[in-house]
Amino acid sequence: MEDYDVPSAASILASVKEQEARFERLTRALEEERRNVSLQLERGSLPSDRLLGGNTGGTNQPLAWQQMVMQEQSPSNQTSLAMMQEPQEVVEETVTIEEDPGTPTSHVSVVTSEDGTTRRTETKVTKMVKTVTTRTVRQVPLGPDGLPVPEGSSPLGSYTDSIDRRYMKNGERFITPQATSTLTRSYNNYSDSYNDTPDTQFRHYTLHDGYGDMPDNYGSLSRGVNYRPYRPYMPTGGYRPENSYTLPIRKDDYGHVAQPQVPMGSSTVDLNRSQPERFQPEPYGLEDDRRSLGPEDEEPYDLEPDYSTANRRTLPGRTIREPLRNGPRVRGYEDPIEAELIDERHPYIHGMYPAPLAQPERGSMASLDRMGGRRSPSIDSIRKDPRWRDPDLPEVIAMLGHPIDPVKSNAAAYLQHLCYENDKIKKDVRQLKGIPVLVSLLDHPKAEVHRKACGALRNISYGKDHDNKVAIKSCDGIPALIRLLRKTNDMEVRELITGTLWNLSSYEPLKMVIINHGLQTMTNEVIIPHSGWEHEPNEDSKPRDAEWTTVFKNTSGCLRNVSSDGAEARRRLRECEGLVDALLHALQSAVGKKDMDNKSVENCVCIMRNLSYHVHKEVPGAEKFQDPSALQAPGSAGTQRKKKDDAGCFGGKKAKEEWFNQGRKNGEHDKNYDTLDLPKRTEPTKGFELLYQPEVVRLYLSLLTESQNYNTLEAAAGALQNLSAGQWTWSNYIRATVRKEKGLPILVELLRSDSDKVVRAVAIALRNLSIDRRNKDLIGSYAMRDLVSNLPSGQQRPAKNLEEDTVVAILNTIHEIITDSSENARSLITAQAIDKLVAINRTSQSARETKAASHVLQTVWSYKELRNALTKDGWNKTHFQPIAAGTPKGSKSCKPGYDDTTLPLMEKSQDGYSTIDQRDKDSKYKSSDISSDLQEREPLKNDTNRKHYIRSNRPTVSLVDACDVKPQPVDSWV
Amino acid sequence: MSFIPGQPVTAVVQRIEILKLRDGDNLILGFSIGGGIDQDPSQNPFSEDKADKGIYVTRVSEGGPAEVAGLRVGDKIMQVNGWDMTMVTHDQARKRLTKKKEDVVRLLISRKSLEEVVRQSMMQR
Repeated sequence: MEDYDVPSAASILASVKEQEARFERLTRALEEERRNVSLQLERGSLPSDRLLGGNTGGTNQPLAWQQMVMQEQSPSNQTSLAMMQEPQEVVEETVTIEEDPGTPTSHVSVVTSEDGTTRRTETKVTKMVKTVTTRTVRQVPLGPDGLPVPEGSSPLGSYTDSIDRRYMKNGERFITPQATSTLTRSYNNYSDSYNDTPDTQFRHYTLHDGYGDMPDNYGSLSRGVNYRPYRPYMPTGGYRPENSYTLPIRKDDYGHVAQPQVPMGSSTVDLNRSQPERFQPEPYGLEDDRRSLGPEDEEPYDLEPDYSTANRRTLPGRTIREPLRNGPRVRGYEDPIEAELIDERHPYIHGMYPAPLAQPERGSMASLDRMGGRRSPSIDSIRKDPRWRDPDLPEVIAMLGHPIDPVKSNAAAYLQHLCYENDKIKKDVRQLKGIPVLVSLLDHPKAEVHRKACGALRNISYGKDHDNKVAIKSCDGIPALIRLLRKTNDMEVRELITGTLWNLSSYEPLKMVIINHGLQTMTNEVIIPHSGWEHEPNEDSKPRDAEWTTVFKNTSGCLRNVSSDGAEARRRLRECEGLVDALLHALQSAVGKKDMDNKSVENCVCIMRNLSYHVHKEVPGAEKFQDPSALQAPGSAGTQRKKKDDAGCFGGKKAKEEWFNQGRKNGEHDKNYDTLDLPKRTEPTKGFELLYQPEVVRLYLSLLTESQNYNTLEAAAGALQNLSAGQWTWSNYIRATVRKEKGLPILVELLRSDSDKVVRAVAIALRNLSIDRRNKDLIGSYAMRDLVSNLPSGQQRPAKNLEEDTVVAILNTIHEIITDSSENARSLITAQAIDKLVAINRTSQSARETKAASHVLQTVWSYKELRNALTKDGWNKTHFQPIAAGTPKGSKSCKPGYDDTTLPLMEKSQDGYSTIDQRDKDSKYKSSDISSDLQEREPLKNDTNRKHYIRSNRPTVSLVDACDVKPQPVDSWV
Repeated sequence: MSFIPGQPVTAVVQRIEILKLRDGDNLILGFSIGGGIDQDPSQNPFSEDKADKGIYVTRVSEGGPAEVAGLRVGDKIMQVNGWDMTMVTHDQARKRLTKKKEDVVRLLISRKSLEEVVRQSMMQR
């Protein structure tokens, strides 16, 4: 402090006094600890975890402590250096008065800023103090070497040395984890100081670290890991705030590997939270590493949703995309350091949690784990200090079988870390037979062990390399995961399990396996409880809302993927007891709470869409409802009535609808639909029947109205598309219900969406809906302009540049709408579509677009009553014929053309769906969404196409007759 | 907007104010009109009712004052600065729009999509 350049002498004095007071307190505290330690040593009671503690010998410890105390008292060494170096930084000192484990204490921290003002801050912190004993043990090793170190410049070397020796003595590379009690203090300090002023606190850190770090526990793993990340700091060496960090870290590293981690997470809680933040700056290699860890940390994530997303789920997703980061990790330390440090501070701020770490036994483990996250690949460490190295992969895998549980869990955690975003290592782990060992650890009774094993499996299962997934499956990993899911109540573990399953579910061949082993369990354990749905609702309590937990998100993502695996998968899901009910309940709750943009909702809607696919063919008893005449609107009504009682649900809504139909000349066509009656139910519908009850229409329409999530919009439109596709009674109801629920304008509105896939799904849904005659009329008159405006035109680029598939889908929808309706064809002309159609027909680069446009044009021309108007607009028959060049295409085009268009559309729509898997996009996309879309659309195609073809033939013939008359309409610029 | 005998007529109109662009002696609105009672209404591609002899916007020049003001192709012009445009000849309409003294024209137009918007907003209640 003295060195500090301060304007006001008074403030300096004040701060000096403050510090002195603090030191006094510290010294007292230290001595107390020393006493405790020696007491404990005498007792000879060492926690089981610290096997080595005894070896280190009690004698050395007192010395170490003494030395440490000395350091604290005479800040000159490190502190002064730090201060000098960092004139800009605010130096903050925090004094922890008491060490009460788990008791919140208020800490007074004094911040001296450059301007010389001193400010005091009181922070309430819960300290976590671990057993003193631990400290002692660790100190011993450090003592001799570490003590001399205090000066900022050299500490590394000395520490390292001590560590090495230590290890040497022990003879084992990996010392079994001893609890790191020391950590607690330092943690507390950190958090406090950070709260006030993130920048400073050299002294404290140093001191505490020194004390705290007796990293032996972590064994070689932690060391290696720690080293790398911190090294960067060393080189930076300056006075930046980071340095301050660095110092503690170094000590940690040297002493323990664990310590460095500690600062990060200091207490587990803190770490976890803090990590997410770090992770957010994605560019840095280090951060990536942590991210992988991130997934491991459960609690913190839960607390801070944002982070959690980023770290675990999102990160994995993102990370994957950016594999490059890995590279930077190793090399990039130096650059990223600054950023990292800054990030780290934030965590502290967040992290004032009472300590999970506080429990001495767990402490070491926990810290290790967290640390593990931070660890970076060993390469760096080797460079730094040739004397010791990180375990290589075979060694880590061998450690998975180590008799001591903490070693197992640390090894697994380290594997998780190594595997993060590193396909090479994943592959190596697989080839070294590490996966079966990890899977076997899933059944390990200790939570730490199966948790870490699960974390490692989650990282391994992520990615494009399906061999890893297969490897997990071949050693019965899927049943093991499901078993664990049934067994554990630990949310973090459940998240890891379901995350792993989600990853696995992205690979087609595994989908059925997952269904076979896990469908009912996932439904019972996760989907139903988290959806808020209850089998037998208690009338007293109001219905529960869905909880959008990570577990629910992961599980629904997994089911979303598996739901795309074809008819059998759909059947299994539909018949899975409670699944459809729970999903619907969750969606209804989302609508009720207007919370419709999250991933869980997206997943649920996608599952619903997939399950709605081909309901009319696949649902048990569907034959009874088949309605061959469904396509001809008038005929169908009779049949329906026969089957159903008159419920008259919609009677009251007629009036509202009337204005909608205002001006319709041919409203009479569909009178039958107005009186469409829904079947009366004697008992509530449940299970898969819910999928196609007209009630779901309102749900989907609500989603379409409210959601901002394109994937959700697309899926909801896709669900309506699927439901309205069939030729059975229910699809008649659905089509009518969409109209009566005023769904058509909602859909039409979405034609203006900026999202290509939403436009496409909506266009196809409109096409299916227009099987209903009245819908066709309405769509023709109200949707035509929006449909047309989505078409590209020659000169002006449309506002949005839609993909080929979307354009084709729109053209096909237009075709469907104008088929059998000269009225609609007229509004097509009115909407100035002919220009665009002709332009597409003549100039489009896409054969499919050309074909589709050509079909529309032929259909238009087939209406003789329109030809007069057309010719007056300057068109002639040649505009409506397939282009000469296209003759080859044209001739083939009729049927094949349609088929093609439809198919591609579906594929693309998949993309939207694919989103489901955060981790593996590839697989998800393809199977799930595609199939459903395709199938549904196909039936439509056939019908429409056939009609078209017939008709289009007619027009071609008549074209010849047409004569061109062109009076130019007057048109004047103003 | 369309007139069908025996049916009530509803028109949703929007005000559009176009500031003319001065180009030398010329004042430019940046759109073209078609229609008028002296024209063949069946040739009007924009009218829903092919007997409608109203004045329609047939083209809008890109970036021009009309486009800036929000005028769109297919809009039916109901009034220009308060003058009725539903029963005028093509040339009368043109002259109303191109008064040299006026730098601003205020149009009342109707547009199909406007009706849709209104309809939808009503339906979504």
